[in-house]
Amino acid sequence: MIVVKNLEKHYKIAKRDPGLRGAIKSLFHRKFETKKAVKKINMHINAGEMVGYIGANGAGKSTTIKMLTGILTPTSGEVKVNGIIPYENRQQNASHIGAVFGQRTQLFWDIPVRESYELLKHIYEIPQAQYEETLKEFVEVLHLEPLLGIPVRQLSLGQKMRCELAAAFLHRPKVVYLDEPTIGLDVAVKVRIRAFIKQMNARYGTTVLLTTHDMQDIEEICQRIIIIDDGSVIYDGSIQDIKSQFGDKRVIHFELEDAADSFVLPETLCDITEVLPKSDEEPHLVSLSFSNKHISGAEVIHTMMNHYSVADLTIADAKIETIVEEIYGRGMKKEVQHEEIH
Amino acid sequence: MLSRYVKLYYLFCKQNLKVMLEYRMDFLLGVLSVMLQQFAGIFFVKIVFDHIHALNGWTFYEILFIYGIAATGRSIHHIFFDNLWTLGWQYIRPGKFDRLLIRPINPLFHFIADRLQQDGFGQLFIGIIVISTAMPHLGISWGVLEFFILVVMIIASGFIFVAINLFFATLSFWMVDSLPIVWTIFNLSDFARYPLTIYHKGIRHFLTWIVPYGFTAFYPAAYFIKGSGFERMALLTPVVAIVSCIIAYWFWNRGLKAFTSTGS
Repeated sequence: MIVVKNLEKHYKIAKRDPGLRGAIKSLFHRKFETKKAVKKINMHINAGEMVGYIGANGAGKSTTIKMLTGILTPTSGEVKVNGIIPYENRQQNASHIGAVFGQRTQLFWDIPVRESYELLKHIYEIPQAQYEETLKEFVEVLHLEPLLGIPVRQLSLGQKMRCELAAAFLHRPKVVYLDEPTIGLDVAVKVRIRAFIKQMNARYGTTVLLTTHDMQDIEEICQRIIIIDDGSVIYDGSIQDIKSQFGDKRVIHFELEDAADSFVLPETLCDITEVLPKSDEEPHLVSLSFSNKHISGAEVIHTMMNHYSVADLTIADAKIETIVEEIYGRGMKKEVQHEEIH
Repeated sequence: MLSRYVKLYYLFCKQNLKVMLEYRMDFLLGVLSVMLQQFAGIFFVKIVFDHIHALNGWTFYEILFIYGIAATGRSIHHIFFDNLWTLGWQYIRPGKFDRLLIRPINPLFHFIADRLQQDGFGQLFIGIIVISTAMPHLGISWGVLEFFILVVMIIASGFIFVAINLFFATLSFWMVDSLPIVWTIFNLSDFARYPLTIYHKGIRHFLTWIVPYGFTAFYPAAYFIKGSGFERMALLTPVVAIVSCIIAYWFWNRGLKAFTSTGS
């Protein structure tokens, strides 16, 4: 359904020196630097698959989605969605896809939800009978009844997102792109939204590409994940695989009494555990990553307690979240080393 | 194809009208303020003509007629194409333009249909009043043909306004917001509310062949003014409108292409 080959996107960014002087200078003489947002990405997604597309902020997720929807033209490479090249036949592609872009609304701001849907019905040329049937179904699953008469601008975030989702699926698209559909929502709404997406997939075989920072979304909805970091795909496979591959990984976060700056890994842990990068926001936090094949969690905690005064600790188990954290962490570390070399 | 767009436009309009009526006070104040603004302009002309009899050979009613055509033509643009002003700051900068690109309809159509501007009705009322006041004093007899030509001229004038604004609004695709440029150019249309013969040749040529605001009021009006010497030029008005729209649409497509290859 979605075929991506050697996809690349480069942006030209105007570089300027800091301060007002730099701004004035850039008025006359501009230096550009090329940023490679997406580098040689390949993916093949079959009809009916639900794929989680994840990566840190700025990893290139949104750029990829923009190219898949036809909003952006790639620098090089190939994209085919349902046999159509999206950026060449944008309108044709548009009738087969649905999209939710985070907090940007696709609905019409000033008019009631129901009338927004009416307009979409005409825009997408949905037959009346099908429209009525679909809407009835959506109203039930997403509990939209009380919202239909309210203008979009007066809805709360959770209400708006439920309406957005219905709008994205209204014309029974073959592919739906969901760019952070659960961002900022409470648990109850998240649960409802996940159930809805799963139901759509089961019923209409809709292909779903989902980006999110909420790993619960991924675990509940997707069978497969693609992880992107710094513009390249660093993992593509089933959630099962990644779990068994990294399933023995554990991460323990220690909250120390003293600042973590002076932390030195105790000798007995040296070869078998790894210190994840520290964050400036939590100066007392030390995170250790290890495999439970080599050492048990109890032992790590024991050793740490012997050497440091630990105020608190949390054990993260082998959830996708932990694994992804680990993979991102490595990516970030690479970056740090990179800068030191220069 | 065309009938689909006509139907869609009707549906968009219906929604826009509903929103408009929801904000009743806005509607009335908008219409009134535009009428007042137009009226002030006419009042100024009136004061000038209280002191002189003719301006470079043009009588009060002739100038009034030119003014009326400008106002009516501009109202077409103001009511139906007002969204052109907002391309940069309301669509491209906040990323709302992406929404239009993932709909299975022409993005320019969607963008234009997104808004109906009530304030333009004030302009339309004033324009019609001014034209009908000036009409009996032009020394020609008004038959069906004359009325038909007048309507064609006014529509052409409206579309020239649209084309010029579309052209300069399109710059937003490269520079995020071209509003200051659109404003500057649009203000040139004030010149076109007076007979172009009172200006220096350079300005006249500029307003005729480069930014054709001359065809939004002076030339079409001259068709109905006996002995103006521009009756033939006036007939070019619809042609200029069509050519301007083609150029502006071509430029829009270029901009769209640039936008989709660089992103915002």
